[in-house]
Amino acid sequence: MAVDRRKVAVFSGAFVLRLLLVCLFPSLPDLLTGRVEVSTPVNSFKRLQEGLFLYIRNVSPYDGGVYHQAPLLLPLFALLPDVKSSPFPTAILYFLVDLLNAHALSTISESGQSVKSRLHSAMRKHIRWDGVSIAAWFLFNPFTIATCLARSTSVFTTTGILYAVSNAVEGNSINAILALGFASYLSLYPALLFLPLVLLCYDQQSQTSKTPSYAVYFLQHAAILLGSVGGLLGLSSIITGNLWEFISATYGFHLLVPDLTPNVGLWWYFFIEMFDSFREFFIGVFWLHLAAYVGGLTARMRSQPLFIITSLLGVFAVFKPYPSISDASLYFALLPLYRHLFPLMRYTFFAVAALLYSSLLGPAFYHLWIYAGSGNANFFYAITLVWSLGLSILLADSIFAALRDEWEQANPESQGQEVKQI
Amino acid sequence: MALKSAIRNLRNNPHLLFVRLPNLLSFLCIIVGVVWLLLLPLNEYSRNTYISENALLPGQVHAYFTGSEQNIFRGYKQELEGLLNVGQKSEDGQDQVELTPVISNKIRSVFEASGLKVATQKYEYKSAGITHEGENTYGIIHAPRGDATEAIVLIATWKTANDELNLNGVTLALTLARYFKRWSLWSKDIIFLITPDSKSGTQAWVDAYHDLQPESVQPLPLKSGALQGAVAIEYPFDHRFKNLHIVYDGVNGQLPNLDLFNTAVAIAGGQMGIGSNLQEMWEHDDSYEARLQTMLRGMAKQGLGYATGAHSSFMPYHIDAITLQTKGEGWEDEMALGRTIESLCRSLNNLLEHLHQSFFFYLLMQSNRFVSIGTYLPSAMLIAGNFTIMAIALWMRTGYHEDAKSDMSSDSSQSKKKGSASVTSKSGKPVGLNGPAVAERLLALPLTLVTGLHLLGLVPLYIFNTIPHQFFTTATYIFVVVDIVLPLILAVLLSNGLGLSTPLVPQQYLLIKSFALLLLGLSLSTLATLNFSLSLTIGLLCAPLSFITRSDCSSNPQRFALSGLGLGLLNLLSPPAVLLGACQYTGVSVETVLTEAAYGWDVWGMWTQVVVWCVWWPAWLIGCVLLGSSIF
Repeated sequence: MAVDRRKVAVFSGAFVLRLLLVCLFPSLPDLLTGRVEVSTPVNSFKRLQEGLFLYIRNVSPYDGGVYHQAPLLLPLFALLPDVKSSPFPTAILYFLVDLLNAHALSTISESGQSVKSRLHSAMRKHIRWDGVSIAAWFLFNPFTIATCLARSTSVFTTTGILYAVSNAVEGNSINAILALGFASYLSLYPALLFLPLVLLCYDQQSQTSKTPSYAVYFLQHAAILLGSVGGLLGLSSIITGNLWEFISATYGFHLLVPDLTPNVGLWWYFFIEMFDSFREFFIGVFWLHLAAYVGGLTARMRSQPLFIITSLLGVFAVFKPYPSISDASLYFALLPLYRHLFPLMRYTFFAVAALLYSSLLGPAFYHLWIYAGSGNANFFYAITLVWSLGLSILLADSIFAALRDEWEQANPESQGQEVKQI
Repeated sequence: MALKSAIRNLRNNPHLLFVRLPNLLSFLCIIVGVVWLLLLPLNEYSRNTYISENALLPGQVHAYFTGSEQNIFRGYKQELEGLLNVGQKSEDGQDQVELTPVISNKIRSVFEASGLKVATQKYEYKSAGITHEGENTYGIIHAPRGDATEAIVLIATWKTANDELNLNGVTLALTLARYFKRWSLWSKDIIFLITPDSKSGTQAWVDAYHDLQPESVQPLPLKSGALQGAVAIEYPFDHRFKNLHIVYDGVNGQLPNLDLFNTAVAIAGGQMGIGSNLQEMWEHDDSYEARLQTMLRGMAKQGLGYATGAHSSFMPYHIDAITLQTKGEGWEDEMALGRTIESLCRSLNNLLEHLHQSFFFYLLMQSNRFVSIGTYLPSAMLIAGNFTIMAIALWMRTGYHEDAKSDMSSDSSQSKKKGSASVTSKSGKPVGLNGPAVAERLLALPLTLVTGLHLLGLVPLYIFNTIPHQFFTTATYIFVVVDIVLPLILAVLLSNGLGLSTPLVPQQYLLIKSFALLLLGLSLSTLATLNFSLSLTIGLLCAPLSFITRSDCSSNPQRFALSGLGLGLLNLLSPPAVLLGACQYTGVSVETVLTEAAYGWDVWGMWTQVVVWCVWWPAWLIGCVLLGSSIF
């Protein structure tokens, strides 16, 4: 197989850039690891270290109440040398994971699924970037770099999701569901992507071979997902020895949101303000809200399953319980696949400006709140609102553009006309 | 209806909408921002200061530091004088005092004799090829009514912020230590800190107090609780004084809680009858001019962000601190100063929680008048906003074909444009029914260029913080030359397309400007929340960048002349040129300023340079490149 020169250049460039950053600024990874924007209780590398410490000493990693990540990460990191004395092996593992993610992305892009699927074919197919450019957008995105340097464990979830999608667009439905199972096992919320992913697999497979009916296909794959997650849980219980303890410390932690450390999301402030008696109710409401998008988007955008997945990742980046910039970087990684929709989007510049403003003002206000003591929690929360607003505008705008694209296809005569809401 | 038709008119006239209107709006923002600032000293916009924290009760207690304590003071002073050999004046008229270990031991023994726990700390800093070293001595009075969880710091430095010998200040601290030790009413520990100089000693001590000291600084063997406040005493002459000068600026423009300042003013003026000055305004007649001048001096100090006294180092740790300096010839003696400090300590001792009630962001214009952040912030935000407005306008302008409005049959010119663009545009479809069409933007090169130039700012940042101090002046002049040449080289390269691609199209120049201004606006509005004055100053210095465009329409000689003139004027506003100009104006040598700046970077954690080299300089450079490119 001929190696693509550009791809090699982009990948090695990204690798060298990360290596340079680590070598030139040795304190940068630890600085980023401590930032609340990057590290949340469920993906923090510091907490992973704590869990690892307990695990190596044969104590249950969940005993300290600090570690809330999946147990299978522990044997993996136990193989690596100690981070304090030799940080490079761990760093390079993360660099490679980033490159793997980029490779999956370029596979997704090259399949052309974003512009032409079984039920839909975009109007402006010719406006698109190739796989290498999309990989470059992902690899040179500052949010991706920050996540990678901070050694946040969300990159593994990202890998799971991206490989699920890339296998799905290639028609390997079983691999796709296994990858999704891995991602869901790591951080629960990717399970919500199951429905659109199955649709994507179904569309791909029905183009090439004969497929069973929706219901049978769906049930088959649900069984695979359950099987894969079940298998991983079984392995985990062998490692920790106590199944229930680790489930309540990881998935319980995701579901019940007991840790209200500030992050870029909307939950922490809301639940700080909440009276305890309403807590359970609103946790239910918030989760329901998050899950509701799956049904709505799947029903409305049935013809473009990949777009549903992209949009859902955007929704998760805003509304999930412990979001960090790594979730946003995953959304930004998939968004360039819809390059052909950009001309139809109306508020890109404003959304991007809002995101830029909040990514500068966020750390400044956090500094004023925590270090200088001259601000308070509202400063930082206001900026997380702006951040979420920026993401929501981008999300809503891209969905608008996708719908407009569908509409133009249905009404070719009104192409290029301005739309008016009646 | 009229408004609706006005909007419709605007939409049908892209030139007005995208070129004239933003220029006007930006200009208006700058003017309003400046006028806003000038209005602040008026009675209608500023407020009288007041004490927010009721627990402080300034001046409500009787101060007993009188009478026999003066004899103690004299005794200590004589002992110290004997060790110091005061009187040996050097050529430049300053006291040359060598702080020998004997003096350190003496202070130690005085503290110990008064019943304090004493410890010392050695430190050493290296910056710009100069080594600063010394030894701090400090003693702690454990609170009879407290549990050692909170402490107040009293600082006396051997050298004041102006490098004078602070003999009276140190002696007063020793006398107060002996005096305070005998009171049973303290509920917070009191730490007496004697440091060799105002620049590095307190920094080393406070860093070590929080276990964040660098290698070259010893850790503290003795500690107390969380520091609630710090007061530095400076009394550098032998005669009686008239006024107290209160210094309050911290590193990076951080300010102490306004309550602390107010308490000091209230105690000095209300209880002791001592007037107080600020910002070296010795004659303040409360007129508009005097208020404005005080405010501007305060802003200059805040904007530069350097440490103005021994108290400044405490500010980054969220410890409110001020320096009291004695000034003028009058009838107040050291006992009056001692009583003021006693009363101030009693007030701080009353605090139930950390100072938080009053303002942290304020501009003072008289010892009893201030404006708070809500009133003054809009001026810097407007100036930062002007760049954002311009950036948005430019972005929208690049999305429209210049010729789209003129006629519908411009297909040929459009297809030509499409040919030059590497990405196909969607503008092939009919245009004109609903106004101009959306054009494809060529983002890659503008984005790379703007990012690259911002990263290039790290080079001068690194150079000016690492080279030895004797090269600073030369480096600055070299940099002036670099600033003249570099934009021209970049402009030539750009007009040749960097040797990679076709020459840049006008749209790309507009995009470069748009991104540069967006970043500038972004950084300045963020900065305005951290250091208002710095943001405002840089905003004003960058204001011309909003209005610079690359001209390629007028005839050749006129264009050359205009852009040449523009480049010349812009070069007067480049960071090194402004530095040289400011040094010329204030009469300080460039080397001193840059040595201080490097010292600030190495020791105080000052980041003014980062703003200068990574925000101001790249934006300025891009402005110059755009202007220069109209020559080629």
